[in-house]
Amino acid sequence: MAQALAEGRAGRLAVAARRESSGRTHWDRASTPGRLREVLAWLIIATLAWGGLATFTASQHASGAGTVVSASEPLSKDALQLWQSLSDANDAASAAILAGSLPPQAIVTRYQNDLNIARGDIVDAARRGGPQGDLNTLSTGLNSYSDEVSRALANNLLGYPVGAAYLRQASDLMTSQLLPVAHNLYTIEDAQLASASAQATGLPLIAVTIVAGLALGFAYWRCGRWIYRRTHRVFNGGLLLAGAVGAVAILWLAGAFLAGRSDLLTAQGQGTTPVTALANADIAVLKAHSYEALTLINNSGNDSNEIAFQAERKALGPGSGSLLTIAQRDAAGSPGAASATAALTAAPAWFAQHQIVRDDDNGENSAVAGGGTHQEAVALVVNGASGQAFQALSTDLTGAITADNAAFASHAQAGQSAFTGLEPGVIVAALAMAAALAWGLSRRLAEYR
Amino acid sequence: MSPVTRQWRAVTGALASLTVAALLASCAATSAPAPARAPTSTSHGSASAAGGPVRQASTTASCNPYESLAPQSGGPSVTSGSYAATIRARGYLIAGVDQTTYHFGYLNPLTGQIEGFDIDMIKDVAAAIFGLSPDSPALAQHIHFKSIDDAERLTDIQKQKVDIVAHTMTVNCSRMQAVDFSSIYYDAKQRVLVDAPAGGAPAPDLAQLGAAHEKVCATSGSDSVAQIQAAHAVPVKVTYWSDCLVRLEEGQVAGVSTDDSILYGMQAQDPNTVVTGPALEDEPYGLAISKAHPDFVRFVNAVLAADRANGTWAKSYRTWVSATAPIPTWPIDYAG
Repeated sequence: MAQALAEGRAGRLAVAARRESSGRTHWDRASTPGRLREVLAWLIIATLAWGGLATFTASQHASGAGTVVSASEPLSKDALQLWQSLSDANDAASAAILAGSLPPQAIVTRYQNDLNIARGDIVDAARRGGPQGDLNTLSTGLNSYSDEVSRALANNLLGYPVGAAYLRQASDLMTSQLLPVAHNLYTIEDAQLASASAQATGLPLIAVTIVAGLALGFAYWRCGRWIYRRTHRVFNGGLLLAGAVGAVAILWLAGAFLAGRSDLLTAQGQGTTPVTALANADIAVLKAHSYEALTLINNSGNDSNEIAFQAERKALGPGSGSLLTIAQRDAAGSPGAASATAALTAAPAWFAQHQIVRDDDNGENSAVAGGGTHQEAVALVVNGASGQAFQALSTDLTGAITADNAAFASHAQAGQSAFTGLEPGVIVAALAMAAALAWGLSRRLAEYR
Repeated sequence: MSPVTRQWRAVTGALASLTVAALLASCAATSAPAPARAPTSTSHGSASAAGGPVRQASTTASCNPYESLAPQSGGPSVTSGSYAATIRARGYLIAGVDQTTYHFGYLNPLTGQIEGFDIDMIKDVAAAIFGLSPDSPALAQHIHFKSIDDAERLTDIQKQKVDIVAHTMTVNCSRMQAVDFSSIYYDAKQRVLVDAPAGGAPAPDLAQLGAAHEKVCATSGSDSVAQIQAAHAVPVKVTYWSDCLVRLEEGQVAGVSTDDSILYGMQAQDPNTVVTGPALEDEPYGLAISKAHPDFVRFVNAVLAADRANGTWAKSYRTWVSATAPIPTWPIDYAG
């Protein structure tokens, strides 16, 4: 190796010396050494160019995977958590008022935890460069919301019905303004995650790079044949070495890409896609549950909140194109599949309980003497069969979301690590290939001096 | 709360001067709800020259909301074959009530029970049917409260889904054609609720709020909206009356306009407010009963008459409406 380098250096020095004496090369371009020198120059340029392309490709895929894992995924997860926490806080607030003047500590704690998580998510999203306008709306809106819920709880504690009015106003703020913004935020972050994932898993760039690499290899082979014809040397060590390094680089690129792509696609298929579908269903369930409570809190029979409940129920399904059926389909094969399927039967069970609640509240429950009462309806929701049926459904959905979120995290992590070292590796390979070419062909050139 | 299709106006000078007197009294003691009208002694079945209110119908059919069927003679008693006997045989009275109007019909979150002035009337009726004291804990199992909204007040009676409705329900001519009413158990007045002014300054009435083009809250569909517009104030419409108190507390409106019964309930929840202004309109409340059971109307009227005579009614008034205001009266007219 040292000898080869010394030969190369001696050759270059000789060429430089001749350039100085004549001002230009004395080799005719048509002559063998002239052609050889030209070929060497083109091969090195092509090799470095391919190295540049391969480096760009590696960096695109590695940064795509890196963005998925370190930026988009946390942002999207935070946005989802924010959206879920706000929905859950609204449900907990309604449940707290419905439960009586002094709500159970568990519900109050749930409400406060949700608010804390939501506030933390807003701060995190702002720090990571989330959309400023949406985050401002959420931040100020959440302050007004929690202020009104506090007034609702304080008045409720005193036994004043105006507490319910404050809750109505708070809930209206949440469902008509904050939740749509949170949903929008999640949609934006989810789209960015999808685009980062697409960048990491996209085919065109890697295909071009590999085809270009093969073309380069073909050029090496043609060049080797031409040298063999001119010099009757069967093997050129430099070309062989450059070709071998190039082959390793291409195999590494292709292997890393295939492994990374497969992991990232799995992360998407068993993570993002089912999580989004499950979250849509989960949030619809939370909304419906809070509408159920508001209907009872308002005490006016089947009011607009019951209509809103029925709309969520219809959207949830199960049935073709419904949220729960889509969630079950998307979660098939993922760790959350069993829970997502369980939700398909848990939902109708809850809806059936809801009907009993409504019948009791309206005094139309034929199974109960006198048709049922408001108090019986409230008891069913607060800690009775209806509340348990809701809890079962909610547990199924959140369980599936947790499982699939974990699947996403581990597969995306694996996808990112597939690209580890690829970028510097490709740079080193390209430089090594160029050096090998220069070394190998300059040895042939030296023979003509 | 109660869409009124006819307007009953007190037009005698005597009443007008009494109203002024009442206003002065209310300004002098803003902390306690003032009576809408100073007590007037009125006699049975008359629009008397001695100062009893003269009412005029402003729409087509002429009727007297203050008139109901004569009470069962000798006090309420459950006679065989009567509707009261049917209810007693069933074991419970089914009452359509409001559960959202503080101190009239509302679910008390402290007790989980439906309570209020309207509810007391139902308890008194049920107590008479089942031979219990209105305070008896055993009474609860003999009453099934059904939460109904404003629109269901007529239809639930007509379909006989409920035996009786106590729901801050104003008696008017069109309703009298659909259902029967008991004698009037509360004579509400349309007034306004505003923030109590600092330093004992007089609180503005609806006319003054209108002159300043202030926003005034009412439920959509209530006839208060028309009153607000007539006064040139800006109506802000909400779904429930308690939403109006939220708007007032948050400074989004300058006042709330509706029956004083509802306003007293709001004032009880927020002592920084005051019920003010002249009585804009009479809103006599009656208990609605199906036209199929005139004997039950007479039974209920006998209960109400006994309550008025023995102080039970006054006790409810003291509990739910005002601890200090003079006990109000109004004409109790009977026909047939």
